[in-house]
Amino acid sequence: MTEHSSEAEGFDYNDLISNERVHSTLYTDERVFEDEMDRIYRKGWVFVCHDSEVPNAGDFVRRNIGREPVFAIRSRDGEISVIVNRCAHRGNIICQEDKGTARALVCQYHGWAYDTKGALVDVPYPGGFKGDFSCHGLQRLAKVDAYQGFVFATFNEDAPPLLEHLGRATELIDRAVEMSPVGRIRLSGGWVKHQFNCNWKMLPENDTDGYHVNFVHPSFAQAIRSNYDDAVLHDEETLKSQSKDWGGGHTELFFSPTYSKPLEWFGCSEDRHSSYQEAMIKAYGKKKGAGILVDGPPHAVIFPNLFLGEMNIVRFEPVASGVCLHTHTPMYLEGVDDDVNKRILRQSEGALGPSAFLLADDCVIAERAQAALTGEGGWLDLSRGAEREEVDDRGVITSHVTDETPNRGFWRRYKEVMAPS
Amino acid sequence: MVLPEERAEIEAFLFKEARLADESQYSEWEGLVADDMHYWVPSFEGQDRESEQVSILNDNRTRLATRIRQLNTGVRHAQLPPSRMRRVISNIEIKALENDEYVVGSNVVIYEYRRQAKDELEVWPARVEHMLRRVNGEIKMFSKSIFLLGSEGPVRGLSFLI
Repeated sequence: MTEHSSEAEGFDYNDLISNERVHSTLYTDERVFEDEMDRIYRKGWVFVCHDSEVPNAGDFVRRNIGREPVFAIRSRDGEISVIVNRCAHRGNIICQEDKGTARALVCQYHGWAYDTKGALVDVPYPGGFKGDFSCHGLQRLAKVDAYQGFVFATFNEDAPPLLEHLGRATELIDRAVEMSPVGRIRLSGGWVKHQFNCNWKMLPENDTDGYHVNFVHPSFAQAIRSNYDDAVLHDEETLKSQSKDWGGGHTELFFSPTYSKPLEWFGCSEDRHSSYQEAMIKAYGKKKGAGILVDGPPHAVIFPNLFLGEMNIVRFEPVASGVCLHTHTPMYLEGVDDDVNKRILRQSEGALGPSAFLLADDCVIAERAQAALTGEGGWLDLSRGAEREEVDDRGVITSHVTDETPNRGFWRRYKEVMAPS
Repeated sequence: MVLPEERAEIEAFLFKEARLADESQYSEWEGLVADDMHYWVPSFEGQDRESEQVSILNDNRTRLATRIRQLNTGVRHAQLPPSRMRRVISNIEIKALENDEYVVGSNVVIYEYRRQAKDELEVWPARVEHMLRRVNGEIKMFSKSIFLLGSEGPVRGLSFLI
Protein backbone atom coordinates (compact mmCIF):
# COMPACT_ATOMS: atom_id res chain seq x y z
CA MET A 1 0.00 0.00 0.00
CA THR A 2 2.96 2.36 0.33
CA GLU A 3 5.99 2.77 -1.88
CA HIS A 4 8.46 1.83 0.82
CA SER A 5 6.87 -1.27 2.22
CA SER A 6 7.46 -4.55 0.52
CA GLU A 7 6.79 -8.01 1.78
CA ALA A 8 10.49 -8.79 2.05
CA GLU A 9 11.27 -5.76 4.18
CA GLY A 10 8.04 -5.83 6.16
CA PHE A 11 5.91 -2.84 6.91
CA ASP A 12 7.25 0.57 7.76
CA TYR A 13 4.76 1.46 10.45
CA ASN A 14 5.75 5.11 10.25
CA ASP A 15 3.91 5.17 6.94
CA LEU A 16 0.74 3.73 8.42
CA ILE A 17 0.42 5.80 11.62
CA SER A 18 0.51 9.52 12.19
CA ASN A 19 -0.82 11.49 15.13
CA GLU A 20 -4.00 12.23 13.17
CA ARG A 21 -4.77 9.04 11.32
CA VAL A 22 -4.02 5.33 10.98
CA HIS A 23 -4.36 3.04 7.98
CA SER A 24 -6.87 0.18 7.95
CA THR A 25 -4.13 -2.29 6.96
CA LEU A 26 -3.26 -2.30 10.65
CA TYR A 27 -6.59 -4.00 11.39
CA THR A 28 -6.74 -6.45 8.53
CA ASP A 29 -3.31 -7.67 7.45
CA GLU A 30 -2.10 -10.95 8.91
CA ARG A 31 1.51 -9.79 8.52
CA VAL A 32 0.80 -6.88 10.83
CA PHE A 33 -0.72 -9.35 13.26
CA GLU A 34 2.46 -11.46 13.09
CA ASP A 35 4.57 -8.40 13.87
CA GLU A 36 2.30 -7.55 16.81
CA MET A 37 2.56 -11.04 18.24
CA ASP A 38 6.33 -10.62 18.25
CA ARG A 39 6.88 -6.96 19.09
CA ILE A 40 3.99 -6.37 21.48
CA TYR A 41 3.10 -9.78 22.90
CA ARG A 42 6.55 -11.44 23.09
CA LYS A 43 8.94 -8.53 23.54
CA GLY A 44 6.71 -6.39 25.71
CA TRP A 45 4.98 -6.75 29.06
CA VAL A 46 1.56 -8.40 28.97
CA PHE A 47 -1.02 -8.76 31.75
CA VAL A 48 -1.45 -12.44 32.64
CA CYS A 49 -3.52 -12.83 35.80
CA HIS A 50 -4.10 -11.46 39.29
CA ASP A 51 -2.39 -13.17 42.20
CA SER A 52 -5.77 -13.72 43.87
CA GLU A 53 -6.55 -16.22 41.09
CA VAL A 54 -3.77 -18.49 42.38
CA PRO A 55 -3.91 -17.93 46.15
CA ASN A 56 -2.31 -21.20 47.31
CA ALA A 57 0.73 -23.30 46.46
CA GLY A 58 0.09 -25.35 43.34
CA ASP A 59 -2.81 -23.18 42.13
CA PHE A 60 -2.66 -22.49 38.40
CA VAL A 61 -4.62 -20.76 35.63
CA ARG A 62 -4.25 -21.24 31.89
CA ARG A 63 -3.85 -18.21 29.65
CA ASN A 64 -2.66 -17.18 26.21
CA ILE A 65 -0.01 -14.53 25.72
CA GLY A 66 -0.65 -13.57 22.15
CA ARG A 67 -0.91 -17.00 20.59
CA GLU A 68 1.41 -18.69 23.06
CA PRO A 69 -0.37 -21.03 25.48
CA VAL A 70 0.96 -20.48 29.00
CA PHE A 71 -0.06 -21.08 32.57
CA ALA A 72 0.63 -19.14 35.73
CA ILE A 73 1.33 -21.26 38.79
CA ARG A 74 2.22 -20.53 42.40
CA SER A 75 5.00 -22.49 44.08
CA ARG A 76 5.37 -23.36 47.75
CA ASP A 77 7.72 -20.41 48.24
CA GLY A 78 4.92 -18.11 47.04
CA GLU A 79 6.53 -17.26 43.71
CA ILE A 80 4.24 -17.13 40.68
CA SER A 81 5.86 -18.51 37.52
CA VAL A 82 4.48 -18.05 34.02
CA ILE A 83 5.38 -21.11 31.97
CA VAL A 84 4.81 -22.06 28.34
CA ASN A 85 2.20 -24.81 28.29
CA ARG A 86 4.21 -27.25 26.22
CA CYS A 87 6.09 -30.35 27.27
CA ALA A 88 9.86 -30.15 26.77
CA HIS A 89 9.79 -33.69 25.38
CA ARG A 90 7.39 -33.89 22.43
CA GLY A 91 5.53 -30.63 22.79
CA ASN A 92 2.20 -31.77 24.23
CA ILE A 93 -0.07 -29.56 26.35
CA ILE A 94 1.04 -30.01 29.95
CA CYS A 95 -1.69 -28.20 31.80
CA GLN A 96 -5.05 -29.36 30.45
CA GLU A 97 -7.52 -27.75 32.89
CA ASP A 98 -8.42 -24.04 32.70
CA LYS A 99 -7.60 -23.73 36.39
CA GLY A 100 -6.88 -25.98 39.32
CA THR A 101 -4.28 -27.10 41.82
CA ALA A 102 -1.35 -29.39 41.13
CA ARG A 103 1.63 -30.62 43.14
CA ALA A 104 3.40 -31.58 39.93
CA LEU A 105 2.65 -31.28 36.23
CA VAL A 106 2.67 -34.56 34.40
CA CYS A 107 2.51 -34.78 30.63
CA GLN A 108 -0.24 -37.13 29.57
CA TYR A 109 1.63 -38.26 26.48
CA HIS A 110 4.74 -39.96 27.98
CA GLY A 111 4.52 -39.05 31.65
CA TRP A 112 7.34 -36.54 31.97
CA ALA A 113 6.81 -34.76 35.30
CA TYR A 114 7.70 -31.20 36.24
CA ASP A 115 7.58 -29.27 39.49
CA THR A 116 5.63 -26.04 39.94
CA LYS A 117 8.56 -23.99 38.64
CA GLY A 118 8.77 -26.04 35.48
CA ALA A 119 11.88 -28.10 36.37
CA LEU A 120 11.90 -31.68 35.08
CA VAL A 121 11.72 -34.04 38.07
CA ASP A 122 10.83 -37.45 36.62
CA VAL A 123 11.06 -39.33 33.34
CA PRO A 124 9.34 -42.75 33.12
CA TYR A 125 11.52 -45.67 31.95
CA PRO A 126 14.66 -43.72 32.87
CA GLY A 127 16.97 -46.37 31.43
CA GLY A 128 16.55 -44.88 27.96
CA PHE A 129 16.89 -41.26 29.01
CA LYS A 130 20.46 -40.08 28.58
CA GLY A 131 19.71 -36.36 28.81
CA ASP A 132 20.36 -33.93 31.60
CA PHE A 133 17.29 -33.15 33.69
CA SER A 134 18.38 -29.53 34.07
CA CYS A 135 18.32 -29.03 30.30
CA HIS A 136 14.78 -30.31 29.87
CA GLY A 137 12.70 -27.97 31.99
CA LEU A 138 9.58 -26.23 30.72
CA GLN A 139 10.09 -22.82 29.15
CA ARG A 140 9.60 -20.14 31.79
CA LEU A 141 8.84 -16.62 30.69
CA ALA A 142 11.96 -14.51 31.00
CA LYS A 143 10.44 -11.94 33.31
CA VAL A 144 7.45 -12.08 35.62
CA ASP A 145 6.56 -9.23 37.94
CA ALA A 146 3.50 -7.96 39.73
CA TYR A 147 2.07 -4.61 40.73
CA GLN A 148 -0.73 -4.53 43.33
CA GLY A 149 -1.26 -8.22 42.62
CA PHE A 150 -1.61 -7.75 38.85
CA VAL A 151 0.84 -10.23 37.32
CA PHE A 152 2.57 -9.30 34.08
CA ALA A 153 5.09 -11.29 32.08
CA THR A 154 7.27 -11.07 28.99
CA PHE A 155 9.37 -13.44 26.88
CA ASN A 156 11.98 -10.69 26.57
CA GLU A 157 14.97 -10.90 28.91
CA ASP A 158 15.94 -7.38 27.94
CA ALA A 159 12.53 -5.83 28.60
CA PRO A 160 12.68 -2.77 30.87
CA PRO A 161 11.41 -3.21 34.43
CA LEU A 162 7.63 -3.56 34.78
CA LEU A 163 7.42 -0.25 36.61
CA GLU A 164 8.97 1.47 33.60
CA HIS A 165 6.36 -0.14 31.33
CA LEU A 166 3.54 0.95 33.62
CA GLY A 167 4.95 4.45 34.13
CA ARG A 168 2.34 6.83 35.49
CA ALA A 169 -0.35 4.17 35.02
CA THR A 170 0.54 2.69 38.41
CA GLU A 171 -1.75 5.43 39.69
CA LEU A 172 -4.65 3.92 37.70
CA ILE A 173 -4.03 0.49 39.24
CA ASP A 174 -3.73 2.09 42.68
CA ARG A 175 -7.10 3.74 42.18
CA ALA A 176 -8.65 0.38 41.26
CA VAL A 177 -7.38 -1.48 44.32
CA GLU A 178 -8.15 1.45 46.61
CA MET A 179 -11.84 0.84 45.99
CA SER A 180 -11.27 -1.78 48.69
CA PRO A 181 -10.82 -0.60 52.28
CA VAL A 182 -7.94 -3.06 52.63
CA GLY A 183 -6.44 -2.18 49.24
CA ARG A 184 -7.00 -5.65 47.83
CA ILE A 185 -9.13 -6.94 45.00
CA ARG A 186 -10.07 -10.56 44.32
CA LEU A 187 -10.63 -12.08 40.89
CA SER A 188 -12.53 -15.18 41.97
CA GLY A 189 -15.69 -14.78 39.87
CA GLY A 190 -14.55 -16.67 36.76
CA TRP A 191 -14.11 -15.27 33.26
CA VAL A 192 -16.61 -14.91 30.41
CA LYS A 193 -14.96 -15.08 26.97
CA HIS A 194 -16.84 -12.85 24.55
CA GLN A 195 -15.74 -13.30 20.94
CA PHE A 196 -15.55 -10.24 18.70
CA ASN A 197 -14.93 -10.86 15.00
CA CYS A 198 -12.78 -7.77 14.72
CA ASN A 199 -9.18 -6.79 15.20
CA TRP A 200 -8.06 -6.80 18.85
CA LYS A 201 -6.99 -3.14 18.77
CA MET A 202 -10.61 -2.09 18.42
CA LEU A 203 -11.09 -3.26 22.02
CA PRO A 204 -8.65 -0.89 23.77
CA GLU A 205 -9.69 1.82 21.32
CA ASN A 206 -13.41 1.45 21.98
CA ASP A 207 -13.18 0.89 25.72
CA THR A 208 -11.66 4.35 26.15
CA ASP A 209 -13.66 6.08 23.42
CA GLY A 210 -16.07 8.54 24.99
CA TYR A 211 -17.49 9.73 21.70
CA HIS A 212 -19.51 6.66 20.67
CA VAL A 213 -21.73 6.26 23.70
CA ASN A 214 -24.67 8.34 22.50
CA PHE A 215 -24.71 6.55 19.17
CA VAL A 216 -23.92 2.95 20.04
CA HIS A 217 -25.82 2.82 23.32
CA PRO A 218 -29.04 4.83 22.84
CA SER A 219 -31.11 1.71 23.57
CA PHE A 220 -29.42 1.38 26.95
CA ALA A 221 -29.92 5.06 27.72
CA GLN A 222 -33.61 4.83 26.80
CA ALA A 223 -34.24 1.61 28.70
CA ILE A 224 -32.66 2.47 32.04
CA ARG A 225 -31.40 5.41 34.07
CA SER A 226 -27.75 5.02 35.00
CA ASN A 227 -24.68 6.90 36.14
CA TYR A 228 -23.63 7.06 32.47
CA ASP A 229 -26.44 9.53 31.74
CA ASP A 230 -24.44 12.32 33.33
CA ALA A 231 -20.98 10.90 32.67
CA VAL A 232 -21.06 10.38 28.91
CA LEU A 233 -24.53 10.94 27.48
CA HIS A 234 -25.11 14.69 27.84
CA ASP A 235 -24.50 17.31 25.18
CA GLU A 236 -20.99 18.52 24.48
CA GLU A 237 -21.15 21.63 26.68
CA THR A 238 -22.62 19.88 29.73
CA LEU A 239 -20.29 16.87 29.88
CA LYS A 240 -17.74 17.13 32.68
CA SER A 241 -15.99 13.79 32.18
CA GLN A 242 -12.58 13.84 30.55
CA SER A 243 -10.43 11.68 28.32
CA LYS A 244 -6.83 11.11 29.31
CA ASP A 245 -3.60 9.86 27.83
CA TRP A 246 -1.33 8.78 30.66
CA GLY A 247 1.60 8.01 28.34
CA GLY A 248 2.96 4.60 27.43
CA GLY A 249 -0.28 3.71 25.65
CA HIS A 250 -2.21 3.79 28.94
CA THR A 251 -5.46 5.70 28.50
CA GLU A 252 -8.56 6.63 30.46
CA LEU A 253 -12.08 7.95 30.37
CA PHE A 254 -12.16 9.95 33.60
CA PHE A 255 -15.76 10.07 34.81
CA SER A 256 -15.08 11.35 38.33
CA PRO A 257 -15.65 15.08 37.63
CA THR A 258 -19.27 14.15 36.88
CA TYR A 259 -19.94 12.69 40.28
CA SER A 260 -20.84 14.82 43.30
CA LYS A 261 -22.27 12.26 45.73
CA PRO A 262 -20.86 9.06 47.24
CA LEU A 263 -21.64 5.89 45.26
CA GLU A 264 -23.12 7.70 42.26
CA TRP A 265 -20.67 5.68 40.14
CA PHE A 266 -22.15 2.54 41.76
CA GLY A 267 -25.63 3.50 40.57
CA CYS A 268 -27.07 3.81 44.04
CA SER A 269 -28.01 6.46 46.56
CA GLU A 270 -25.52 7.73 49.07
CA ASP A 271 -27.20 6.11 52.05
CA ARG A 272 -26.56 2.59 50.72
CA HIS A 273 -23.75 0.25 51.74
CA SER A 274 -23.03 2.24 54.90
CA SER A 275 -20.61 -0.28 56.38
CA TYR A 276 -18.54 -0.14 53.17
CA GLN A 277 -18.48 3.64 53.33
CA GLU A 278 -17.50 3.62 56.99
CA ALA A 279 -14.72 1.13 56.31
CA MET A 280 -13.36 3.32 53.51
CA ILE A 281 -13.28 6.43 55.74
CA LYS A 282 -11.63 4.44 58.50
CA ALA A 283 -9.03 2.98 56.16
CA TYR A 284 -8.09 6.06 54.12
CA GLY A 285 -9.11 8.94 56.40
CA LYS A 286 -11.99 11.32 55.97
CA LYS A 287 -10.61 13.31 53.04
CA LYS A 288 -9.19 10.57 50.85
CA GLY A 289 -11.79 7.95 51.78
CA ALA A 290 -14.70 10.27 51.05
CA GLY A 291 -12.98 11.33 47.84
CA ILE A 292 -12.70 7.75 46.61
CA LEU A 293 -16.35 7.11 47.43
CA VAL A 294 -17.38 10.05 45.24
CA ASP A 295 -14.82 9.58 42.44
CA GLY A 296 -15.33 5.87 41.89
CA PRO A 297 -13.06 3.42 40.08
CA PRO A 298 -10.92 4.04 36.98
CA HIS A 299 -12.13 3.28 33.47
CA ALA A 300 -8.73 2.78 31.90
CA VAL A 301 -6.68 0.65 29.55
CA ILE A 302 -3.19 -0.53 30.48
CA PHE A 303 -1.29 -1.18 27.25
CA PRO A 304 -1.68 -3.57 25.57
CA ASN A 305 -4.22 -6.01 26.98
CA LEU A 306 -5.63 -4.98 30.37
CA PHE A 307 -8.80 -2.95 30.90
CA LEU A 308 -9.63 -1.66 34.36
CA GLY A 309 -13.32 -1.45 33.48
CA GLU A 310 -14.62 0.24 36.60
CA MET A 311 -15.64 -2.72 38.79
CA ASN A 312 -14.54 -5.26 36.15
CA ILE A 313 -11.23 -6.55 34.95
CA VAL A 314 -10.96 -7.31 31.24
CA ARG A 315 -8.29 -9.07 29.19
CA PHE A 316 -8.02 -8.39 25.46
CA GLU A 317 -7.02 -11.57 23.68
CA PRO A 318 -5.91 -11.41 20.04
CA VAL A 319 -6.72 -14.58 18.08
CA ALA A 320 -6.14 -13.57 14.43
CA SER A 321 -6.20 -10.25 12.61
CA GLY A 322 -10.01 -10.38 12.46
CA VAL A 323 -10.84 -12.25 15.68
CA CYS A 324 -10.30 -11.43 19.34
CA LEU A 325 -11.81 -12.03 22.76
CA HIS A 326 -13.03 -9.51 25.32
CA THR A 327 -12.71 -11.62 28.47
CA HIS A 328 -14.07 -10.24 31.73
CA THR A 329 -14.48 -10.96 35.41
CA PRO A 330 -16.01 -8.89 38.21
CA MET A 331 -13.49 -7.01 40.33
CA TYR A 332 -14.44 -8.14 43.82
CA LEU A 333 -13.27 -6.13 46.80
CA GLU A 334 -11.65 -7.62 49.88
CA GLY A 335 -12.74 -6.29 53.26
CA VAL A 336 -16.36 -5.50 52.31
CA ASP A 337 -19.75 -7.06 52.99
CA ASP A 338 -21.11 -9.59 50.52
CA ASP A 339 -23.83 -7.20 49.34
CA VAL A 340 -21.19 -4.91 47.80
CA ASN A 341 -19.63 -7.76 45.83
CA LYS A 342 -23.07 -9.07 44.88
CA ARG A 343 -23.86 -5.68 43.37
CA ILE A 344 -20.52 -5.72 41.51
CA LEU A 345 -21.40 -9.15 40.10
CA ARG A 346 -24.86 -8.12 38.88
CA GLN A 347 -23.47 -4.93 37.31
CA SER A 348 -20.76 -6.93 35.60
CA GLU A 349 -23.37 -9.20 34.03
CA GLY A 350 -25.39 -6.18 32.98
CA ALA A 351 -22.54 -4.30 31.30
CA LEU A 352 -20.15 -6.88 29.85
CA GLY A 353 -20.40 -10.07 27.86
CA PRO A 354 -22.36 -11.50 24.92
CA SER A 355 -25.82 -10.67 26.33
CA ALA A 356 -24.98 -7.43 28.10
CA PHE A 357 -26.83 -4.16 27.74
CA LEU A 358 -23.63 -2.44 26.59
CA LEU A 359 -21.00 -4.79 25.15
CA ALA A 360 -23.34 -6.71 22.84
CA ASP A 361 -23.82 -3.46 20.92
CA ASP A 362 -20.12 -2.56 20.95
CA CYS A 363 -19.42 -6.00 19.50
CA VAL A 364 -21.72 -5.53 16.51
CA ILE A 365 -20.37 -2.04 15.84
CA ALA A 366 -16.80 -3.38 15.90
CA GLU A 367 -17.70 -6.26 13.60
CA ARG A 368 -19.28 -3.81 11.17
CA ALA A 369 -16.07 -1.76 11.21
CA GLN A 370 -14.02 -4.87 10.51
CA ALA A 371 -16.30 -5.73 7.59
CA ALA A 372 -15.95 -2.20 6.21
CA LEU A 373 -12.14 -2.30 6.40
CA THR A 374 -11.70 -5.67 4.79
CA GLY A 375 -11.39 -4.55 1.17
CA GLU A 376 -8.98 -1.92 -0.05
CA GLY A 377 -9.54 -0.04 3.20
CA GLY A 378 -8.39 3.48 3.80
CA TRP A 379 -7.46 5.96 6.49
CA LEU A 380 -9.15 6.24 9.89
CA ASP A 381 -9.28 9.72 11.37
CA LEU A 382 -8.09 10.24 14.96
CA SER A 383 -7.79 14.00 15.06
CA ARG A 384 -10.81 14.95 17.15
CA GLY A 385 -10.01 17.45 19.88
CA ALA A 386 -6.25 17.57 19.32
CA GLU A 387 -6.26 21.37 19.52
CA ARG A 388 -8.02 21.54 22.90
CA GLU A 389 -5.86 19.10 24.85
CA GLU A 390 -4.08 20.20 28.01
CA VAL A 391 -0.92 18.71 29.44
CA ASP A 392 -0.42 18.75 33.20
CA ASP A 393 2.85 18.92 35.16
CA ARG A 394 3.22 15.15 35.06
CA GLY A 395 2.74 14.99 31.32
CA VAL A 396 -0.74 13.52 31.44
CA ILE A 397 -2.78 14.78 28.47
CA THR A 398 -6.41 15.67 29.26
CA SER A 399 -9.22 16.64 26.95
CA HIS A 400 -13.00 16.58 26.53
CA VAL A 401 -14.44 13.12 27.12
CA THR A 402 -15.51 12.88 23.47
CA ASP A 403 -12.02 13.65 22.14
CA GLU A 404 -9.79 11.04 20.59
CA THR A 405 -6.98 11.70 23.05
CA PRO A 406 -6.95 8.11 24.38
CA ASN A 407 -6.85 6.67 20.86
CA ARG A 408 -3.97 8.94 19.92
CA GLY A 409 -2.19 7.82 23.10
CA PHE A 410 -2.71 4.16 22.27
CA TRP A 411 -1.40 4.57 18.73
CA ARG A 412 1.57 6.68 19.81
CA ARG A 413 2.75 3.82 21.99
CA TYR A 414 1.88 1.25 19.34
CA LYS A 415 4.03 3.09 16.82
CA GLU A 416 6.95 3.28 19.25
CA VAL A 417 6.80 -0.46 19.73
CA MET A 418 6.10 -1.45 16.13
CA ALA A 419 8.48 1.02 14.43
CA PRO A 420 11.34 1.47 16.87
CA SER A 421 13.55 4.31 15.74
CA MET B 1 -47.60 -38.35 37.15
CA VAL B 2 -48.19 -36.09 34.17
CA LEU B 3 -51.42 -36.68 32.28
CA PRO B 4 -51.41 -36.68 28.46
CA GLU B 5 -53.49 -33.49 28.37
CA GLU B 6 -51.08 -31.77 30.78
CA ARG B 7 -48.20 -32.81 28.55
CA ALA B 8 -49.95 -31.47 25.47
CA GLU B 9 -50.60 -28.17 27.20
CA ILE B 10 -47.01 -27.83 28.36
CA GLU B 11 -45.61 -28.72 24.94
CA ALA B 12 -47.89 -26.15 23.37
CA PHE B 13 -46.50 -23.59 25.80
CA LEU B 14 -42.90 -24.46 24.89
CA PHE B 15 -43.61 -24.26 21.18
CA LYS B 16 -45.35 -20.90 21.54
CA GLU B 17 -42.56 -19.55 23.70
CA ALA B 18 -40.04 -20.73 21.09
CA ARG B 19 -41.95 -19.16 18.22
CA LEU B 20 -42.27 -15.77 19.93
CA ALA B 21 -38.55 -15.79 20.75
CA ASP B 22 -37.65 -16.93 17.22
CA GLU B 23 -39.69 -14.10 15.74
CA SER B 24 -38.42 -11.44 18.17
CA GLN B 25 -41.90 -10.66 19.44
CA TYR B 26 -40.46 -9.34 22.66
CA SER B 27 -43.54 -8.05 24.46
CA GLU B 28 -45.65 -11.05 23.51
CA TRP B 29 -42.88 -13.29 24.85
CA GLU B 30 -42.81 -11.25 28.06
CA GLY B 31 -46.53 -12.01 28.39
CA LEU B 32 -45.57 -15.63 29.13
CA VAL B 33 -43.44 -14.63 32.10
CA ALA B 34 -44.50 -14.73 35.77
CA ASP B 35 -43.76 -11.93 38.24
CA ASP B 36 -40.99 -13.92 39.93
CA MET B 37 -39.27 -14.89 36.68
CA HIS B 38 -35.58 -15.77 36.65
CA TYR B 39 -33.81 -15.98 33.29
CA TRP B 40 -30.33 -17.49 33.30
CA VAL B 41 -27.47 -18.49 30.99
CA PRO B 42 -24.57 -19.84 33.10
CA SER B 43 -20.95 -19.45 31.98
CA PHE B 44 -19.83 -22.99 32.77
CA GLU B 45 -21.21 -26.45 33.36
CA GLY B 46 -22.29 -27.15 36.92
CA GLN B 47 -22.50 -23.48 37.92
CA ASP B 48 -24.47 -22.66 41.07
CA ARG B 49 -26.83 -19.76 40.29
CA GLU B 50 -26.42 -18.29 43.77
CA SER B 51 -22.61 -18.40 43.76
CA GLU B 52 -20.23 -15.50 43.13
CA GLN B 53 -19.41 -16.91 39.68
CA VAL B 54 -20.24 -14.57 36.82
CA SER B 55 -22.96 -15.66 34.38
CA ILE B 56 -23.42 -14.83 30.71
CA LEU B 57 -26.95 -13.66 31.53
CA ASN B 58 -28.64 -13.59 34.92
CA ASP B 59 -31.89 -11.60 34.94
CA ASN B 60 -34.39 -11.25 37.70
CA ARG B 61 -37.82 -9.97 36.67
CA THR B 62 -36.78 -6.31 36.88
CA ARG B 63 -33.70 -6.76 34.74
CA LEU B 64 -35.61 -8.87 32.25
CA ALA B 65 -38.12 -6.04 31.91
CA THR B 66 -35.20 -3.69 31.19
CA ARG B 67 -33.90 -6.15 28.60
CA ILE B 68 -37.28 -6.22 26.85
CA ARG B 69 -37.49 -2.41 26.99
CA GLN B 70 -34.04 -2.17 25.44
CA LEU B 71 -34.95 -4.55 22.62
CA ASN B 72 -38.17 -2.64 22.06
CA THR B 73 -36.40 0.70 21.60
CA GLY B 74 -35.62 -0.28 18.02
CA VAL B 75 -32.08 1.07 18.40
CA ARG B 76 -30.45 -1.96 19.98
CA HIS B 77 -27.67 -2.34 17.38
CA ALA B 78 -26.92 -5.91 18.42
CA GLN B 79 -30.39 -6.82 17.12
CA LEU B 80 -30.57 -4.47 14.15
CA PRO B 81 -31.96 -6.11 12.18
CA PRO B 82 -33.31 -8.78 14.55
CA SER B 83 -31.71 -12.18 14.10
CA ARG B 84 -33.84 -14.56 12.07
CA MET B 85 -34.17 -17.76 14.05
CA ARG B 86 -35.73 -21.20 14.16
CA ARG B 87 -35.29 -23.41 17.19
CA VAL B 88 -36.00 -27.09 17.37
CA ILE B 89 -37.13 -28.56 20.69
CA SER B 90 -36.99 -32.21 21.59
CA ASN B 91 -36.46 -34.78 24.38
CA ILE B 92 -39.05 -33.02 26.51
CA GLU B 93 -39.23 -34.41 30.04
CA ILE B 94 -41.82 -33.08 32.45
CA LYS B 95 -41.88 -33.49 36.18
CA ALA B 96 -44.89 -32.33 38.16
CA LEU B 97 -44.13 -30.48 41.38
CA GLU B 98 -46.61 -29.41 44.04
CA ASN B 99 -49.02 -26.49 43.66
CA ASP B 100 -49.59 -26.92 39.92
CA GLU B 101 -45.92 -26.34 39.13
CA TYR B 102 -43.74 -28.21 36.66
CA VAL B 103 -40.08 -28.50 35.84
CA VAL B 104 -39.55 -29.19 32.15
CA GLY B 105 -36.27 -30.23 30.59
CA SER B 106 -35.65 -30.16 26.85
CA ASN B 107 -32.92 -30.24 24.27
CA VAL B 108 -32.91 -27.22 21.99
CA VAL B 109 -30.97 -26.27 18.89
CA ILE B 110 -31.31 -22.68 17.73
CA TYR B 111 -30.36 -21.78 14.20
CA GLU B 112 -29.65 -18.07 14.09
CA TYR B 113 -29.17 -16.18 10.84
CA ARG B 114 -27.51 -12.97 11.91
CA ARG B 115 -27.26 -9.97 9.66
CA GLN B 116 -26.15 -7.21 12.05
CA ALA B 117 -22.57 -7.08 10.76
CA LYS B 118 -21.95 -9.90 8.30
CA ASP B 119 -24.44 -12.50 7.10
CA GLU B 120 -23.72 -15.60 9.15
CA LEU B 121 -25.52 -18.70 10.35
CA GLU B 122 -24.83 -19.43 14.01
CA VAL B 123 -25.93 -22.61 15.79
CA TRP B 124 -26.68 -22.70 19.52
CA PRO B 125 -27.22 -26.18 21.00
CA ALA B 126 -28.42 -26.18 24.60
CA ARG B 127 -30.19 -28.01 27.38
CA VAL B 128 -33.08 -25.88 28.62
CA GLU B 129 -34.95 -26.08 31.89
CA HIS B 130 -38.28 -24.31 32.26
CA MET B 131 -40.11 -23.90 35.56
CA LEU B 132 -43.81 -23.46 34.87
CA ARG B 133 -46.94 -22.85 36.87
CA ARG B 134 -50.58 -22.25 36.20
CA VAL B 135 -51.65 -18.68 36.94
CA ASN B 136 -55.41 -18.07 36.66
CA GLY B 137 -55.68 -21.11 34.43
CA GLU B 138 -52.86 -20.02 32.11
CA ILE B 139 -49.38 -21.46 32.07
CA LYS B 140 -46.55 -19.00 32.81
CA MET B 141 -42.83 -19.56 33.22
CA PHE B 142 -41.15 -18.42 36.42
CA SER B 143 -37.70 -19.69 35.49
CA LYS B 144 -35.84 -20.42 32.29
CA SER B 145 -32.26 -21.65 32.39
CA ILE B 146 -30.32 -22.18 29.18
CA PHE B 147 -27.30 -24.43 29.55
CA LEU B 148 -25.33 -23.72 26.37
CA LEU B 149 -23.23 -26.61 25.15
CA GLY B 150 -20.46 -24.06 24.56
CA SER B 151 -20.99 -22.00 27.71
CA GLU B 152 -17.28 -21.78 28.55
CA GLY B 153 -16.83 -20.02 25.24
CA PRO B 154 -15.66 -18.21 23.33
CA VAL B 155 -19.26 -17.03 22.97
CA ARG B 156 -20.39 -14.71 20.20
CA GLY B 157 -22.98 -11.98 20.65
CA LEU B 158 -26.14 -13.35 22.20
CA SER B 159 -28.53 -10.43 22.32
CA PHE B 160 -31.74 -12.12 21.15
CA LEU B 161 -34.18 -13.86 23.49
CA ILE B 162 -32.70 -17.29 23.94
